[in-house]
Amino acid sequence: MSPDLRVSFAGVEFANPIMTASGCCGYGEELAKVYPLSKLGALVTKSVTLKPRLGHPPPRTAETASGMLNAIGLANVGIDCFITDKIPFLEKQKTRVIVNVAGSSLNEYVEVCGRLSDIARVDMIELNISCPNVDEGGMEFGADPVMTEKLVAAVKKVFPRPVIAKLSPNVTSIATIAAAAEQGGADALAVINSLVGTAIDVETWRPRLTYNKGGLTGAAIKPVALAMVNAVHEKCRLPIIGIGGISNGSDAVEFFLCGATAVQVGTALFIEPDVPVRMLGELKAYLKRKKLSSIGELTGKVRKY
Amino acid sequence: MTRPSCQDTLLIKKRDLKNNYFSATFRTYSRVDQCRPGQFVHIQIPSAEIYFRRAMSIAGVSSRRREIEVIFKVVGRGTRQLGNLHEKDRVNLLGPLGVPFRWPRKSETAVIVAGGVGFPPLLYLASEMVKRGHDPRRIEFFYGGRSSADLIERSRIRKLGVRFHPVTEDGSVGEKGLVTGPVEEFVRRAPNRHLRLYGCGPEGMLKATNELGVRLKVPGQISLEAPMPCGIGICLGCVVPLVGGGHARVCWDGPVFEIGEVAL
Ligand SMILES: Cc1cc2nc3c(=O)[nH]c(=O)nc-3n(C[C@H](O)[C@H](O)[C@H](O)COP(=O)(O)OP(=O)(O)OC[C@H]3O[C@@H](n4cnc5c(N)ncnc54)[C@H](O)[C@@H]3O)c2cc1C
Ligand SMILES: Cc1cc2nc3c(=O)[nH]c(=O)nc-3n(C[C@H](O)[C@H](O)[C@H](O)COP(=O)(O)O)c2cc1C
Ligand code: FES
Repeated sequence: MSPDLRVSFAGVEFANPIMTASGCCGYGEELAKVYPLSKLGALVTKSVTLKPRLGHPPPRTAETASGMLNAIGLANVGIDCFITDKIPFLEKQKTRVIVNVAGSSLNEYVEVCGRLSDIARVDMIELNISCPNVDEGGMEFGADPVMTEKLVAAVKKVFPRPVIAKLSPNVTSIATIAAAAEQGGADALAVINSLVGTAIDVETWRPRLTYNKGGLTGAAIKPVALAMVNAVHEKCRLPIIGIGGISNGSDAVEFFLCGATAVQVGTALFIEPDVPVRMLGELKAYLKRKKLSSIGELTGKVRKY
Repeated sequence: MTRPSCQDTLLIKKRDLKNNYFSATFRTYSRVDQCRPGQFVHIQIPSAEIYFRRAMSIAGVSSRRREIEVIFKVVGRGTRQLGNLHEKDRVNLLGPLGVPFRWPRKSETAVIVAGGVGFPPLLYLASEMVKRGHDPRRIEFFYGGRSSADLIERSRIRKLGVRFHPVTEDGSVGEKGLVTGPVEEFVRRAPNRHLRLYGCGPEGMLKATNELGVRLKVPGQISLEAPMPCGIGICLGCVVPLVGGGHARVCWDGPVFEIGEVAL
């Protein structure tokens, strides 16, 4: 019998545990030209804000050792255009849709989430309280347990379906923030967003990004992300979506073992847009070889010393 | 509609074109029939040290043999590795990507302005125009560089039977000066002005071509470059500002843009 890749959490079932990470798949239109989005467990949209945002001037990405820096600056079409132009496309896709929401004030988050509340196609919201690339909001929320709890609680009041809090690794104790999100009523946690970093051109003495710093992502951050999933899993009962440097089935298995129920793939899509399709095959083969019948049998099963 | 895909190919032919330029031909590329001039492939460099793919314009295809050619210049880490590849090495290509050039009307004269690594897509464009029956005497191919060594593959353009105008800064071949000088002279002298500009090359050349098209009201297109993490429109890293406001992604909304569209 073929192993079952379905996972479910917060009362929602997913065809498989592989999602595409926010900011790494737009609103799905481009990837849909490469493979049907039904291959994905879920698609997580680029962060949506109340007003459209152009983002920072280029250069806003830089290649680093086994990874990259980005300071896109939450470029997005804004909630109005998202609803009129992007939702109709998403309506037709046979995958779960998670809309990532960002804002510079509590009210902005609440307003955007409120606008999404009666769009049934939006299966879940993922709150980006961890963006390192904006001056206001973003990471400020995710670095403060009190703000995190308040924000999640406020969004839960206006959005009737599950809410995921996406946590920042740029904090002293990610488990403390996770606990605060749980307290606020979050249904799941996404761990992690990007790590603050920078790179300098030694010829011109200029940072390689006009924002002077950015978020580090890609293979380079996987060990950090795994440790953080572990830390959150130890302290908190909420389901965890593991994110950070995942580019194959075995990477995903590491995250499951550390406590993740599902995973998101981000930067790896830039190198191999159909990496989720390959990972499905790899996960199936792994479960078979280990004589396991489901992903759930892996979650949190790391055999610690 | 092109549907890009990732595909393993073999490097079957590598030619040293001197002055750090190489031509590389890959087989078997199943998407050859979807390729159009102006499009590019995103090449995965088979080396653990190179994280991202590198964008290379399509310089030519052979439908029959299912081959695709790129011409590249070694300028940094990634292109150095590419230059070190051997025939029979396996290379993964993502493509074809990007918006292609528009064909000129039969009555129009194509004025091509090429320089540096902007030459390969325009070589492909000129070849395809001729193949599709555009009168080669209605293709004016201006090719600029610092000196004669920068003007690679001249014989291939000559063979097309197009009107070829090499221009070098040191005068070692063709007219002496910057390529946009003779281009402007030609445009001003052209009797009927049914012209269409096609430009690809270094930033200065692109700016001058774009400005010339706007000023003399000659329609046409230019092809841009930008560092491209993904090449398929999903990272928003490769944007350029538009004259009308907003950003466009060079990889997905371009790399080919109308003259006067981009704020260069
Ligand atoms: C649509 C398109 C078509 C292109 N076609 C050709 C071609 O036909 N022949 C050719 O020789 N070159 C072409 N280039 C440029 C080529 O992609 C760069 O020269 C190459 O990426 C440089 O890589 P590197 O590692 O050698 O240089 P490095 O400077 O070491 O690269 C560092 C990083 O910057 C990026 N980068 C640096 N310069 C450029 C640039 N000008 N364009 C894009 N990315 C850059 C690299 O991808 C890499 O991520 C094209 C670029 C684009 C965008
Ligand atoms: C170019 C780029 C843009 C991103 N934009 C967002 C965003 O808008 N919102 C968000 O929550 N995370 C964003 N992220 C973070 C990713 O969703 C993910 O958390 C991070 O990249 C780590 O995963 P990875 O190593 O698989 O890329 C972005 C990442 C990249 C590389
Ligand atoms: S390179 Fe990613 S959007 Fe253009």
